[in-house]
Amino acid sequence: MKEDIQKLRNIGISAHIDSGKTTLTERILYYTKRIGVIHEVKGKDGVGAKMDSMELEKERGITISSAATHCLWKGHRINIIDTPGHVDFTIEVERALRVLDGAILILCAVGGVQSQSITVDRQMRRYGVPRIAFINKCDRFGANPYRVLNQLREKLGMDPVLLQLPIGLEGDFQGIIDLVKMKALYFEGPHGESIREEEIPDQMLEEASSYREQLLDAATMYSDDLAEAVLDGHETEEMIHLALRKATLAKTLTPVLVGSAYKNIGVQPVLDAVNMYLPSPTEVETRALDLDRDEAEVFLKPDPGLPVVALAFKLEVTPYGQLTYLRIYQGSIGKGDELIITRNRKKIRVGRIVRMHADEMEDIERGYAGDIVALFGVECITGDTFTDGSVNYSMSSMHVPEPVISLTVKAKDNKSQENLAKALGRFSREDPTFRTYVDPETGETIISGMGELHLDVYVERMRREYKADVETGIPEVSYREAITQRAEFNYTHKKQTGGAGQYGRVAGYMEPSKGESYEFVNAIKGGVIPSEFIPAVDKGFLSCLEKGPLLGYPVLGIKVVVNDGQYHPVDSSELAFRQAAVGAFKQAYMKAKPIILEPIMKVSVECPSEYQGNVMGSINQRRGIILSSTEDGTFTTIEAEVPLAEMFGYATVLRSLTQGKAEFTMEFSRYGKAPESVVEEIKKAKTTSRRGGK
Amino acid sequence: MKSFMKVSPLRLLDMSVEKKLGPGNLGVLIARAGVGKTACLVHIAFDRIFSGESLVHVSVEETPDKVASYYNVIFYDMIKILELENEEDLRLMVERNRMILSYVKGSFSVDRLRRSLGNLKQNLSFAPQTIIIDGLDFEVTPREFFEELKGLSKEFSTETWLSALSHRHKLTKNEEGIPYPCSEIDDLFEVIIHMDPTTEGVYLKLLKDHGHTLGQHVSVRLDPNTFLVVS
Repeated sequence: MKEDIQKLRNIGISAHIDSGKTTLTERILYYTKRIGVIHEVKGKDGVGAKMDSMELEKERGITISSAATHCLWKGHRINIIDTPGHVDFTIEVERALRVLDGAILILCAVGGVQSQSITVDRQMRRYGVPRIAFINKCDRFGANPYRVLNQLREKLGMDPVLLQLPIGLEGDFQGIIDLVKMKALYFEGPHGESIREEEIPDQMLEEASSYREQLLDAATMYSDDLAEAVLDGHETEEMIHLALRKATLAKTLTPVLVGSAYKNIGVQPVLDAVNMYLPSPTEVETRALDLDRDEAEVFLKPDPGLPVVALAFKLEVTPYGQLTYLRIYQGSIGKGDELIITRNRKKIRVGRIVRMHADEMEDIERGYAGDIVALFGVECITGDTFTDGSVNYSMSSMHVPEPVISLTVKAKDNKSQENLAKALGRFSREDPTFRTYVDPETGETIISGMGELHLDVYVERMRREYKADVETGIPEVSYREAITQRAEFNYTHKKQTGGAGQYGRVAGYMEPSKGESYEFVNAIKGGVIPSEFIPAVDKGFLSCLEKGPLLGYPVLGIKVVVNDGQYHPVDSSELAFRQAAVGAFKQAYMKAKPIILEPIMKVSVECPSEYQGNVMGSINQRRGIILSSTEDGTFTTIEAEVPLAEMFGYATVLRSLTQGKAEFTMEFSRYGKAPESVVEEIKKAKTTSRRGGK
Repeated sequence: MKSFMKVSPLRLLDMSVEKKLGPGNLGVLIARAGVGKTACLVHIAFDRIFSGESLVHVSVEETPDKVASYYNVIFYDMIKILELENEEDLRLMVERNRMILSYVKGSFSVDRLRRSLGNLKQNLSFAPQTIIIDGLDFEVTPREFFEELKGLSKEFSTETWLSALSHRHKLTKNEEGIPYPCSEIDDLFEVIIHMDPTTEGVYLKLLKDHGHTLGQHVSVRLDPNTFLVVS
């Protein structure tokens, strides 16, 4: 049944690890009567919170993949996506933010603005998502919401405004003061479900008035009516709410609430704030690209009567097939409808359409613009745009952070190998930040992801879900060889012992070429090597580049000039000259003073400026050269060149150096000469591996 | 790099009494838009690097990529014109001895620069002898800022070169003949150079050489394409 889109809210709940996201969501589901019983996150009652449906999530007490659910609160339908806080699962948060209209940023009253809060906030800004903040855990020892408020200003550059004050803190936390109503609220009943309103305690009146004044100062900037009313002393709650809503939607103000989800204090006001301050789908500007008009930008309207445009933002493989989560931006999608995937123009027919509640499904007939639904049995990838075919639009691609850590993965037996392949296929389809490939040089299967925990969880899932018994290790670095000076060759390949023989002589020189590619120059004069044999000479030299004589690594940047030679009218052949070229190469190569090259990566680290020194030091310790540093307000981006061999494990080091507040990207830049110490280590490793018969 | 040194724009200072800017001192290049202040500063940078010094190039509002591309263009032009053969060695020398610090969205301050220099020294043992600051808007920067900057130069024993944008329509000069926008703050600079484009090339004219009286027309002429000294 079509409902009033103005009363629809698509929100995400994002924060740092252990800020209480899942606990908050559990309470929300309870108060909105989606669940009948509250289960705690770490499964003290043996069940686990509703939103942590994956087994591993329940076991580890962390949320791994995002789950979706919906609920009703005071006439509004709220779609909630609960997202993980670990930095290793950034893609899940990125996906959620891409399709949501608003968000709740949860902060811990003790820990305050922490690493992932900074990353998440950056993500919210990137996607222009209006948010409210909830300072949770006011019942914990060390809770200080006022400190957190300052941190929101200083560390996130936000303009936060407190809408509530805590009554007591830590063990004394009893309730909250609503600064709009100017009333004290106490949450009673076994799960805080009934709210008792009282007058503000006398000892808190002054403080409450002061903070209310700050609230009004901020809100009046957005409403002339309110400003006038405040001057007259006749401001109403509705006026204040409207002004705050305007400011929140403009992303210039962040309403801040306080509470303790675990103690059931302050959750219902958060739901009220979602209804009052966060946008409906009609208040969010959504753009797509019109592929028929050179990717011209078009604005989408959440009108069910317009052509369908929807975005697949999450895929999940279930025992019944692939489940595709869709955000419908325009039009409506119902059972039996035909849709087209813009990317590959593939037509699909909508079979089953469901609304998700964590891992439970609710069949529906039709989903409308503004809504989040899931389709069954549709073959697509994350980021695919669906239309009804009457338009050829594509939603802009989601920002996907590049993986920063890689491991080798090897199955212990044949059965595991099969299962491993299936697992890798599924995971890489579901998660674009999880990548897998076979290194053509070493034959190793490499998996890469956003962090050690990210890969750790996938390896665990390979074992549990696919019964693939695997071992992991650090991948080998792809070194190269290159010559550094000119060296002559003059080699005769001869086998003339009776019968058909082989004969060929090639002479010339090799020298370093300008780029990294191989160059062959035929400078033969007078036909001393017949022209039909020249390609064989070229091929002979080329074949030597795959495994250089120094340490067996591919050879780069070599120029070979053949300027003399000799042939035999009977015994010369293509094979003979090919062999002659191979011999010539080996003869000259070591005289050309070859060296080992290592891959040098361009590394870009973004961190709060206070960690500039730490980051510079960490790069310096890794034989890195810092090229530049850019300061942009509170953040610094440091660009450097660092050998790949030094970058393994850097993600973890960086996280600990900067309390998780830094991010880095890495891409190949060039090959550079490896220092002697590194070459010695490589030689030692090769000797050991030869002896070990690996 | 002897061949470069002979034609480097800093040869202008050979005609001065002090022959150099010197540690703890501020120098400025004044010119209208498009004359080549940045190119000239980059040449000064090469002069210092190839003399065996290390250098920090501070860019106000431009990203490091843009700054690096100035260096690359000028570097490769120089290699070609002067027919230098040891390109790779020189390139490495520049990379190892130059640090680009960029401050965007109004982030630049002497304190931030001080912190960055401190970090470079402590963590990388990188202690530049020269600082180049390009893109600072002299029209909105108060005198106190230059005083602090001078203090920083003394603290870190660096010589600091800046670029200042002048305007065709603002022709005021002070008694010493120092033009806008440096006419009110010339006492803070030990070396002031004016870049004057003509049909024959760009003239670098020395307007101030520490406290010394200058002879008439202490200047060099630069090739407008290469910014190398012609005469």
